[in-house]
Amino acid sequence: MRPATRFRVGATLSALLSLLCALLVADPPPARAATYAKITGSGSTWSSNAVFQWTRNIKANMGMTVNFTDNGSSQGREQFKRNVVDFAVSEIPYGLKEQGVADTPPRRGYAYMPIVAGGTSFMYNLKINGKKVTNLRLSGPVVAKIFTGKITRWNDAAVRHDNPGLNLPARQIIPVVRSDGSGTSAQFTTWMAKEQSGVWNDYCRRTGRGSGCGMTSNYPLLSGSSMVSKSGSLGVSGHVRQPSGEGAITYVEYSYAIKTGFPVAKMLNKKGYYVEPTASSVAVGLTGARINNDKNSPNYLTQILDGVYRNGDARTYPLSSYSYMILPTKEEEGFTKSKGNSLGTFGRYFLCDGQQQAEELGYSPLPKNLVQAGFAQVRRVPGAPTSAININKCRNPTFSSDGTNTLARNAPYPKACDKQGPTQCSDGTAGDKGKTPVKPGAQGGDGNGGGGGGAGPGGGGANGGGSGPGGGSGGSAGPDSDGDGTPDARESAGSGGGGTGGGGGGAVDPDTGLPISGDGTGSGDTSVAATPVSLASGGAFGLRGALMALSAFLLLAVVVGPPVMARVLAGRARRRGEIA
Amino acid sequence: MAVATGGGVDGDVPRRLYADPGLPDRVFRAVLRGGGALVLAVMLLVGGFLLYRAWLALDKAGWGFLSTAEWAPDAGKFGIAAVLVGTVLIASVAVCVAVPLATGAALYISEYAPPRLRQTLISVVDLMAAVPSVVYGLWGVFFLQDKVIPTARWIAAYLGWIPLFDVDGADPADPLAPASVYTSSTFIAGLVVGMMIAPIVCSIMREVFSQAPAGEREGAYALGATRWGMIRSVVLPFGKGGMIGGTMLGLGRALGETIAVYMIISLVFDIQWHVLQSGTSSVSSLIALRYGEASEFGMSALMAAGFALFLMTLVVNFAASSIVARSRSGAAS
Repeated sequence: MRPATRFRVGATLSALLSLLCALLVADPPPARAATYAKITGSGSTWSSNAVFQWTRNIKANMGMTVNFTDNGSSQGREQFKRNVVDFAVSEIPYGLKEQGVADTPPRRGYAYMPIVAGGTSFMYNLKINGKKVTNLRLSGPVVAKIFTGKITRWNDAAVRHDNPGLNLPARQIIPVVRSDGSGTSAQFTTWMAKEQSGVWNDYCRRTGRGSGCGMTSNYPLLSGSSMVSKSGSLGVSGHVRQPSGEGAITYVEYSYAIKTGFPVAKMLNKKGYYVEPTASSVAVGLTGARINNDKNSPNYLTQILDGVYRNGDARTYPLSSYSYMILPTKEEEGFTKSKGNSLGTFGRYFLCDGQQQAEELGYSPLPKNLVQAGFAQVRRVPGAPTSAININKCRNPTFSSDGTNTLARNAPYPKACDKQGPTQCSDGTAGDKGKTPVKPGAQGGDGNGGGGGGAGPGGGGANGGGSGPGGGSGGSAGPDSDGDGTPDARESAGSGGGGTGGGGGGAVDPDTGLPISGDGTGSGDTSVAATPVSLASGGAFGLRGALMALSAFLLLAVVVGPPVMARVLAGRARRRGEIA
Repeated sequence: MAVATGGGVDGDVPRRLYADPGLPDRVFRAVLRGGGALVLAVMLLVGGFLLYRAWLALDKAGWGFLSTAEWAPDAGKFGIAAVLVGTVLIASVAVCVAVPLATGAALYISEYAPPRLRQTLISVVDLMAAVPSVVYGLWGVFFLQDKVIPTARWIAAYLGWIPLFDVDGADPADPLAPASVYTSSTFIAGLVVGMMIAPIVCSIMREVFSQAPAGEREGAYALGATRWGMIRSVVLPFGKGGMIGGTMLGLGRALGETIAVYMIISLVFDIQWHVLQSGTSSVSSLIALRYGEASEFGMSALMAAGFALFLMTLVVNFAASSIVARSRSGAAS
């Protein structure tokens, strides 16, 4: 090789090297990255959609790496106890008894900090006439009976009673539950044990868990039922959202329904309204939560939700709850001050700025008192930044100058058609906002049920005044006298003042504007779509059966025929040869 | 080795022959022996460790461990009756799917495929074995499951009178019958696992088929056999041991398959004989699901389940290797 070439090679190499160096320099990791130690955590899938969003944000803004694994609350608590992770996220605290076995608290120092609120919602996949139902309503006892195998069909009288406007199909209900240890199961079964104890204890007996399993992270399965169990919130919501999941219903956090584009059931609250777990209805519901305010208690800040289940406000979503982070409070087991600095900064971020995104993700931001208490807990983490931060500069949508929860105060009242009774709203919920047509008899006014503050007035339906599209005002909601609660469409239609049909029993078809005779329940949705159904068999020995037998025979003949024929022919030839 | 030949006068004892292998050979042999012993030692240690950790649970459960279907170790009621049945059923479905597929593919590659295509096909099959099982799991859950439901429904409708194919809660005459009863079943999990073990079974069979002696093949042709006739009379009998061995190795892998099964099935702790019905269980997916949240005793119970699986796979694999070793093709290879 000539010196010139060698020189050129050397030059190329050095140019390449310097280019590499330049590339490395050109895109350096953010300079602050070095100041934050990496932290890891695991736990709840209920709140993981929010936690993941926060970890992404803090990675992008501050270059801090927070590794979070959504493996379920039980696993998170266990891993924190075993010092595998720096923090855990769980819906329930340590120390609760399950099947007589207490979940022992960890030996390392720990504290609870609320991170976000949300509603455990019932996501479902149901179609009527080939169209997705988006406005299903369920009351507490019906939910309990569905998830304990007592109600097995969608057209069960109890479900129809909750949904007077829907022609529910005679389809089987497939309850989808969690197979792993889960905080969502724990939240749901806590409610079951407290509010629906009769049904729940009976179910526990039937599953062989003994009388009354109370709260449990591992949902008991009834053998021989149509129940499906899947691991993780993604597992259950993924099962429901598939085409084969038609008829399925599961319990997940509201955000999963938004993410998968599916509706959730509106749930009946104490006041008699069916409410969707939006950020504001969760915030209203949680005004009834009792928080453990004893600073010396190991369960400081944990929640007692009885007041939420029975909250008398018309805007309450009864299955609202908080999710908690379990923080280490001592410098031990590999937890260092530099990690504490990261964790403290992360906590400060999501308690304040992170809460802004809660609503859009499908959660509800924390109220001021819990944010303040949360900050106090963050300060207990060794190495956490303790510099005073101005809580009033937090742009949390719940904060107000007078200390009330803005989100809860400004929460809209449910519509009149959401009141328990003969009417039903057609609006979609959660991830699917498409309208679902309701029976003419069950169309109610769209006006808000209650005006002003306080609880909704008793006769919430009285001022419903949405005008019907086909001339004549739409049937107004059933009057308060409808105390019996039967979905009696005649009653509702009859009281719809101003319909052109006028007198008793007359009602107006909103699509045609013509009076329809009879009880008004007959016609239902006029925009009918065909329902594709597949029948597996139509008589065992029809044409179909014959064709199947024929094709089976042909297949057999193709496979077995040639060798047999060959053998027979060969044998004949041989015999002929012998004779000859 | 040389053969000792007795020689010389009557009554003489044959002279012991001894060939010095030399230092390099001796070192090589020692290294090989050490490697073999190490593998054996690791296996024994794994078994020993499992048994040691499982002892706490096994001691408490006793023989009931084999006959209890439930899994609630902290409440004292746990056993592997359900998970073991589920594991075996999933593996059987997988073998039923994989073996015909693998046999056909192996025969085509070794006997029919044009030489230029052969290498490509071999690498494609090997590539199938290299796909991570989580990918198979995702494919099974989000693609295959919906496509397989009509087949499952058909089998349940026409062969439902066989107890194995019966599906509770499925009414073929009901147009609104939920498709959900056919999802997350042993059948679908078995199909996916079958896809995963097919490449292994196929490559073992292909190896064996390609070793069928050329002389016998040509002899068969000389006697006027067609190609299929030659395969039936030479290749298949020769490769029988390899086929059985490959199948057993595939079965061994199917028994232990974890993540794909974990993603597909809906874990229930009943003895579920209905392969088309939603809800089944397997030892490895039970362990994957519960190890993270298990208490100390729960962990011990999971170890006991793992030990049972370990023993089962060991037996299957030993049976496979002994069959392979006995057969003509196995002895040759």
